[in-house]
Amino acid sequence: MIWVETIVNGTLYGGLYGLLGVGLALIVGVMRVVNLSHGEFIVLSAFIGVSLVGAVPWVHPLLLIVPVAVIAFALGFGLQAVLINRVVTRPDPFAAILLTFGVAVVMRNLMVEVFGADPRTLPAGRLAQASAGVFGLHVGVLPIIILALSIVLFTGLQLVLTRTRFGRIVRATADHRDVVRLMGVNPGRVYNVVMGLSLALASVAGMLLAMRSSFTPYSGVERLLISFEVVVLGGLGTFWGAMLGGITLGIAELVGLRFDTNAGPLYAHLLFLIGVLLRPNGLFRARS
Amino acid sequence: MKAARWLIAMVGAVVVIAAPWFVGEGALRFLSEAMLMLAMAQMWNLLAGYAGLVSMGQQVFVGLGAYALFFASISLKLAPFWVLPLAPILCAAVAAVVALFLFRLREAYFAIGTWVFSEVVALLISKTERLGGERGIGLPTARLIGAHWLEPLTFWISAAIAVGAVAGTYALLRSRVGLGLMTVRDNDVAAASIGVDVWRNRFIAFVLSAAGCGLAGAVSFTATLYVAPSFAFDPNWVVAMMFIVIIGGIGTLEGPILGVVIYFALRELLTVAFGLTGGWYLVGLGLVAIATMLFEPAGLWPLLRARLGGEWLSVRRHPPARAEAP
Repeated sequence: MIWVETIVNGTLYGGLYGLLGVGLALIVGVMRVVNLSHGEFIVLSAFIGVSLVGAVPWVHPLLLIVPVAVIAFALGFGLQAVLINRVVTRPDPFAAILLTFGVAVVMRNLMVEVFGADPRTLPAGRLAQASAGVFGLHVGVLPIIILALSIVLFTGLQLVLTRTRFGRIVRATADHRDVVRLMGVNPGRVYNVVMGLSLALASVAGMLLAMRSSFTPYSGVERLLISFEVVVLGGLGTFWGAMLGGITLGIAELVGLRFDTNAGPLYAHLLFLIGVLLRPNGLFRARS
Repeated sequence: MKAARWLIAMVGAVVVIAAPWFVGEGALRFLSEAMLMLAMAQMWNLLAGYAGLVSMGQQVFVGLGAYALFFASISLKLAPFWVLPLAPILCAAVAAVVALFLFRLREAYFAIGTWVFSEVVALLISKTERLGGERGIGLPTARLIGAHWLEPLTFWISAAIAVGAVAGTYALLRSRVGLGLMTVRDNDVAAASIGVDVWRNRFIAFVLSAAGCGLAGAVSFTATLYVAPSFAFDPNWVVAMMFIVIIGGIGTLEGPILGVVIYFALRELLTVAFGLTGGWYLVGLGLVAIATMLFEPAGLWPLLRARLGGEWLSVRRHPPARAEAP
């Protein structure tokens, strides 16, 4: 029974990991850029959330996800427009990696100086403790809400990219950056919006994760590694793969913690390394 | 010309050997740190600037080198510097094994793959009680070296490692392997089509770089007499290596030398002269690195060389003079 419960909880937790990674998967798919400051933006949005909770304590933190996501969208748009678009067209594939790594180091240390290095959490009120019994299994209400929200966002992203005019433009830009210019599309602007979306999704995950476990300015590193593992395990460019990758990692982590209480993310990392060894193109990549 | 080079080398060696008698203890420690940082930065430069491999996990070799030295020195009850060769050997062996699967990842994926590997090793070591767990271990065998000799010895070895890293990289790049690395970096399809073994050249660079970082890491932690996972596997090691190389000039041998000077000058300026905390110092360093990436992606050395002229440590080969047409 306890194992079933662990696997159910791992699945719920893993949905959140999938959400952490899907933003990264989006920008990798569209502009072939890995944003190494992804983790720092996840942590920053949690800090913004904590500040907002302090400012408007009568609003439930779950509702504050909306303004935080809007702020994160603006930050992503600005990051892309001001910095990354200047290097994204360079032939050197490392320019964007090194640039975003510089951004990550600056942000991490600024957050230490501004918010302090103490662990924080986002209070979720009574919801955090509430649990529901489903056929004798005890499952937290908050994790179920989190998984449901993740699935809604995944579906929404999928629909936007496959069914709308904007989605068509994004996919066309991803395939042929230079050809879309002939159709009057400015790839730089598309990238700005895509980076905004990526960080907005990451900020939702960052807020939800902050309700489940504590964070410090240094947590960005771990968040980035998990996001990245989700992208690689899921297989590049497939969003549902990212979701499955996240769930796999979530289960690995919680099962690992069952028999080794201070393991931390060790087993998720080990699973990732083994996954890379066996299937370097991702576990769930569509065979096309 | 050749005689002048030998003369410079001899004078340099005399200055390094005599330095501990003329320089204060604090300054000596500072110089040792700078020398080791130069060696590590040069190792990172070999990977990123020549082999096309950006590693975010080189700190794993810094830490493994340190732990190899501490563990061997304590178990064998030998003075730390006697077991120093074990550090690069262990790191090279580990690098050779992990290369087999990390090399399946490309570009950014390789970068973060190495980082994940480093985290895994750090977590495993912090769970190993024999190695002190999260608390870390001290180095009681350092007492086998006289107290007056530890600092000068560390300095001499650090200087030798720094010179060895620069000269070794120079020699490697002038060799067949180096030529192969640079052709792969500049055009991997063309390189493969003329028979350059891309995988093998990268493998050699990765293993050598790991050995160099392990050696420098082992000496670095011998100087502090204490090692713990949070310091040994600190990502700030690779942050420092990267910033030194980017600011100085990636893919040049002189770049890391210039970068180390700027790195430590900036650190002393911000933390000592302006009294800022280490956090603000890293913010400043990050901003300088971002500006370099945006405006001068080749780093500062190419600018300086254009002013100074000359070949310096260029590994360029000159084509043979063309025969006169009959």
